[in-house]
Amino acid sequence: MSGCFPPSLAVTPSSGRYSNTGTGPALLPIDIGHANYMALTDPATAFWALVRKDRLAEALTGGPLLDSYRERSADFARELHGLRFELKPSAVYVNPTERCNLNCTYCYIPEDMRRSGEHMAADRLIEALDRLKAYFATTMPAGRKPHIIFHGAEPLMNRDAVFAAIDAFGDDYVFGMQTNATMLDEEAIHFLTGHHVSIGLSLDGPLAEITNATRHTWAGKSIHDKVLMAMERLRGYDAWSVIATCTAKNLDQLVALVNLFHARGVPTCMLNAVRCTLPRARTVRPEDDALATHFIAAVERSHELYRETGRKLVVANFANILLAIMAPTARRLMCDISPCGGGRAFFALAPDGGLFPCSEFIGLDAFNGGNLFQDSIESALASANFAKVIGRDVDCFAPCSGCAIRHFCGAPCPAEAHEMNGGMDRVGAFCGFYEEQVRYALRLIADGKADDFLWDGWDEGVETTFDMTVAGPF
Amino acid sequence: MSTPIQPQNQTPIKTSTAQPAQQPTVIAVRKRCDANGVGLSHFILMDRKPAK
Repeated sequence: MSGCFPPSLAVTPSSGRYSNTGTGPALLPIDIGHANYMALTDPATAFWALVRKDRLAEALTGGPLLDSYRERSADFARELHGLRFELKPSAVYVNPTERCNLNCTYCYIPEDMRRSGEHMAADRLIEALDRLKAYFATTMPAGRKPHIIFHGAEPLMNRDAVFAAIDAFGDDYVFGMQTNATMLDEEAIHFLTGHHVSIGLSLDGPLAEITNATRHTWAGKSIHDKVLMAMERLRGYDAWSVIATCTAKNLDQLVALVNLFHARGVPTCMLNAVRCTLPRARTVRPEDDALATHFIAAVERSHELYRETGRKLVVANFANILLAIMAPTARRLMCDISPCGGGRAFFALAPDGGLFPCSEFIGLDAFNGGNLFQDSIESALASANFAKVIGRDVDCFAPCSGCAIRHFCGAPCPAEAHEMNGGMDRVGAFCGFYEEQVRYALRLIADGKADDFLWDGWDEGVETTFDMTVAGPF
Repeated sequence: MSTPIQPQNQTPIKTSTAQPAQQPTVIAVRKRCDANGVGLSHFILMDRKPAK
């Protein structure tokens, strides 16, 4: 069902009786590092089953698992195809300024833009949101609002324009903002929480010396305490989160960072591997194995804290891997899917009106699909420069095309693959890290713990389409 | 008008973490819903009530 192999060529005239031959169910075994279970996956549909190791041969040679999956595989293939190829954008990441007051090691916005770039004037921003509103009126289902996320560079560098836009379009959009928090004063928090804007902050360490290694002002000054102050102001608000970027500089501090986040009432965090799009970011790139070890320790710590206190600190990027396995369409993040969400589920707007598949590509002219003030959004979405990203399909290039977990991971990120690894048909930056996350997620499912790592109520409005728990023999 | 500040829950989880006596032979579950995720690694929309 991918774009690589037309269905007419993918179907052969066999009885479909046997697993892994002809048109039979294709179920690949995976060692997930569990004492008792192996996983089986059909990568083409993102179907999975956990099977006791001593019953694996039995599971693959007939019985209820194969029979049930054979009945549903076409439905699952259609569902995955819809998720991968049939979405329309429902969000825009708006950069209201090129400028930032920080000079973080791994920023994907080019330095000259951040240092001396342009603001988008308030009337221009209002016009932009008006044009986007007209577009979404033609594409969004009735009753659903599109999302506008103010992003950066640092959006609060252009605070008056941003706040004017939120005031003007409060009934039309769901708003979010990702900020470095250094300008998130009492007045700004009052305004943003009063408009129920979802607020994301960034902090990389439990101690200033750790944060300072990657996040600081142009003059090298620490911003750690300012972020902690903003976190204190946001305590108790229900729509905020903190991103920590995992680098070679803070891996051994991730557990301590989770302790800090939980103690300060952070409801959700992301522990993201550093994006290696620009060369400077690669200077702090951690090794996959070390990243996986420290990351999983931090996620485990979040679980311990939940068991001790009854209060969750959801590690959202890991929760998203769990969702990719348990309920593919329930993903909240659209990086870990192929094609990624860039140019499909969302797109990005630069301060000069430039349209890009994702913020990650702002600054890379080869991915500019047009200008909001001169071109139609439809033409940008259909442009050759967007197609470079939208057309990146893990079914179509090695080694991903042969990987049993390719639709749990999606081989992020296209920007990294292109800039660091030499092309869109290359793996992303952290293949080994994603392998370990998926194996860990499957172990948690085997042990019945997965819900502890997800948001409360994550499955409201979610229907079960396959449920096979076999207690005894087949 | 600011969103009311909610009290923090500090109740330990009481349920047992012990493994069941007999683990299932097979576990296979799949769920679905309308796809409306728009987050990325730079931002996740944190709104406990889905935006409708």
